[in-house]
Amino acid sequence: MKINVFGSNISALVCAGCLAETGNQVTLIGNRDKERSEPGLLKLLDTQLDAGRLEFSTGYDIDADYQILSLEPGNCSEAKLIAKSLAAGTNSNTCLIVRSNFTMGTFKTITELSQKPCIMNPDFASEGRAIVGFMRPDRIIIGSHAPQAIKSFKRLFSPFNRNHNVIIEMSPESAELTKYATNAMLATRISLMNELAQAAEHLGADIEEVRQGLGADQRIGKAYLYAGTGFGGADFEIDLSRIQKIIHDSGSDEGLLKAVSLINEQQKEVLFRKIWQHFNCQLDDKTVAIWGISYKPNSNSLEGAPSLSLIKALLNQGCSLKIFDPMLEANFTIWMRETLPLEQQKRIEICADMYETTEQTDALCVITEWQLFYSPNLETLKANMRTPIILDGRNLYDKQWMEENQFIYYGIGR
Amino acid sequence: MIETQAFSKLKPLAESIKQTHLKSLFTDDVNRFEQFHVQTEHLLYDFSKQKIDAEVLQELLNLATESDLQPWIEKLFAGEKINQTEDRAAWHTALRDINNPLPEVAQQWHKMEHLVDLMHSHQLRGFSGNAITDVVNIGVGGSDLGPLMVTYALESDKLPIAPDVHFVSTLDARQLQRLLKRLNPSTTLFIIASKSFTTIDTLSLAETAKEWIEASSPSQESTLRHFIGISTNPTKMSEWGILPQLQLEFWDWVGGRYSLWSAIGLSIAFELGMQGYKDLLAGAHAMDTHFKTTPFEKNIPVLLGLIGIWNTNFLDLTAQAILPYDSRLKYFASYLEQLEMESNGKSTRRDGTATTYRTCPILWGEVGPNAQHAFYQLLHQGTERVMSDFILFTQGQSSSERAKFHQNLNIANCLAQSRALMIGKSSEDLNKNYPGDQVSNTLLVNQLNAFHLGMLVALYEHKVFVQSVVWRINPFDQWGVELGKKLAINILEHIDSHTTEELDTSTAGILNTIWKQQNEN
Repeated sequence: MKINVFGSNISALVCAGCLAETGNQVTLIGNRDKERSEPGLLKLLDTQLDAGRLEFSTGYDIDADYQILSLEPGNCSEAKLIAKSLAAGTNSNTCLIVRSNFTMGTFKTITELSQKPCIMNPDFASEGRAIVGFMRPDRIIIGSHAPQAIKSFKRLFSPFNRNHNVIIEMSPESAELTKYATNAMLATRISLMNELAQAAEHLGADIEEVRQGLGADQRIGKAYLYAGTGFGGADFEIDLSRIQKIIHDSGSDEGLLKAVSLINEQQKEVLFRKIWQHFNCQLDDKTVAIWGISYKPNSNSLEGAPSLSLIKALLNQGCSLKIFDPMLEANFTIWMRETLPLEQQKRIEICADMYETTEQTDALCVITEWQLFYSPNLETLKANMRTPIILDGRNLYDKQWMEENQFIYYGIGR
Repeated sequence: MIETQAFSKLKPLAESIKQTHLKSLFTDDVNRFEQFHVQTEHLLYDFSKQKIDAEVLQELLNLATESDLQPWIEKLFAGEKINQTEDRAAWHTALRDINNPLPEVAQQWHKMEHLVDLMHSHQLRGFSGNAITDVVNIGVGGSDLGPLMVTYALESDKLPIAPDVHFVSTLDARQLQRLLKRLNPSTTLFIIASKSFTTIDTLSLAETAKEWIEASSPSQESTLRHFIGISTNPTKMSEWGILPQLQLEFWDWVGGRYSLWSAIGLSIAFELGMQGYKDLLAGAHAMDTHFKTTPFEKNIPVLLGLIGIWNTNFLDLTAQAILPYDSRLKYFASYLEQLEMESNGKSTRRDGTATTYRTCPILWGEVGPNAQHAFYQLLHQGTERVMSDFILFTQGQSSSERAKFHQNLNIANCLAQSRALMIGKSSEDLNKNYPGDQVSNTLLVNQLNAFHLGMLVALYEHKVFVQSVVWRINPFDQWGVELGKKLAINILEHIDSHTTEELDTSTAGILNTIWKQQNEN
């Protein structure tokens, strides 16, 4: 099959790579800028390029059997332009698959503009696990009113639907809303856990123990019950604000999701509050080490990352910072330049080694659960730090182990 | 004043014009409006509905000249110590010299800007580390009325990132307690605004606020994160515990009722941003420039002041009504009550002798459309002769059809009332007889925003100054308020010791009744 994939985000690159790997001839109308931020993606793309099944291009293949739109959620107008050009410039049997999470109703406009049979197939895979998410999905949602296109789509995606059938067919509107509903539900679970974490601290309970008890209930399940420093990710936050608007426009009260967002914004500063209280509101002579900047491990994405809220809060109180992240790239430097005054930028030292970061510091904040942070050498930390204080934003560490090693330990909800 | 030639010429003119009905001045001269209004880029002052003619106006201008108004204006702007009883300047104009500020003024702007930036970026933190969301301004008199009046008037320009600003002034603490019930101590910041930092009203409320924070805050250090001090007295602020970085200063040459232009305006800056606060200063500065440089016959504060003197000292009018036709100016009349009556409500001249003429009239007011259903009855048919200032804005709330409709209704009502007061209507049925002949000013301002509001306030400040110069009194002290403060301390001692010795029988009788009722409860 010949396929055009439009887009440059991780979702587009993964989709192009995986479809090429299953023997299709894929033209990707986009660039590879983000390939390094997703584990395995670079190798996948290189292999497919070498095999000749994948090519990057500025123009699309007019003979393609499938057109896949996988643009950023904010690029609705670009999507409409592409749809318009596809109406004239492609073969009449081609089928258009929309995987982007555009505003509700955009799919309908695209269908009208493209004059092609269309399918809404939302991408549910999360960054950092995007390839596995594409190859072995929980579900493949097909939102369409075009029987021929559905048949053709099923043929294309059959390699990813072999173990058991995970395809669910529905209307395009339901498919669009399902994507939003998924993120709203996940966000709500996280914010609820973060509120419960605060209550746990107040009551002397441990949210980790509560999580295990809660997750054992089959009605609830184990996923997305981790208290932490709040969720990030650009798409996640955009989705949340869009679903709030959809709910509001439908005439219903938007109170629940507003609270979910507000709790999350406050949760991003949870470690700041702990340091602030620990040092009795006096931080201007303190140096703080931070491990992990990206909003999730195995990614360099900073969109909405809780670390950025913490960095701003600490700098504004006069702290100096030493930071380490295994995938820290130019996007962080750009963020610093665009967001922080020069005087504050000068108080940030970026370190190449996680232990070097902790030298002569008054506290260590662990924000992102990169695997290399799970089992640190406490002796080295103790030798390096001025005061042995660990603030564990992901509840990675055994509290007792920390305390036995004379660390002052602050987790979330424990 | 009475020694001037102009005064002796004005006296007989007044006697003659008193016999003329205001409406006939219009029927006699179709160009009356042309002759008796001044228009600038930003506002129109119409004083044609005053009982004056060209000769009266000329003599009033002569009165100003004979009273040395121009040299006094120059002393005011030069920062000379014209508040002689307190040996201080009254240099509020220096606070808003936006392009050429004094170094100490610029330094405080800088410190304010830093606090405003921290607040607006949600980086001003309370004891828990949460960002501050609510600001309570504790102050009384000038430390309350100015910021309250301005923030209320400009609420529609409030920045989305601004905190909610509240005002508390009364020493019975009921306002404060009502507010504290719905605020969260971890996210509430108090501004303690007091020129001397000794005012019992303010400091008693500050202590109550401090106790409220202390009940939740883990330490003294963290409690103090919740208090900004604004005062001329850094020593007292430090003694109270205000952290150095949360202290803002002004100076003894800023009178309390002129202090909204100083750091006392912090709550305004929190609401509008520093740009909005500076727009307010810029508007006032524009009026300063107009006052300082415009010939008296086109000088709006000079004319406004002289007309007031004409009405008070020659036409024997006893009261001044302030009638803004815009609900956003709800607190404007209260603000002017302090500005005018605390400044010129005096009977001792600069030379220490008593005045032999009347000075500041009783001033009160209300948003016009509401006042129409309250005290306008008295204006139209009562026995008191009153002068009124109608204040109207050209621009309505928006360009929508409904907004235009409401604005036209508002304009129609404002103009109808000043016209009705002027022309009246005769009827055989005395219940339906309207004598008219009540004078009024109309100030038509382009729009209500920070710049124009600053200009309007400065206009009245300078009007007050003009009148003080003609009356030869010092408008910048307020000795009248001291006696009551002293007696309150004395009576509080009596209450503490539960005695009524040396008190008059009325005070003693009331105290005894209170004690009896308290015991019964």
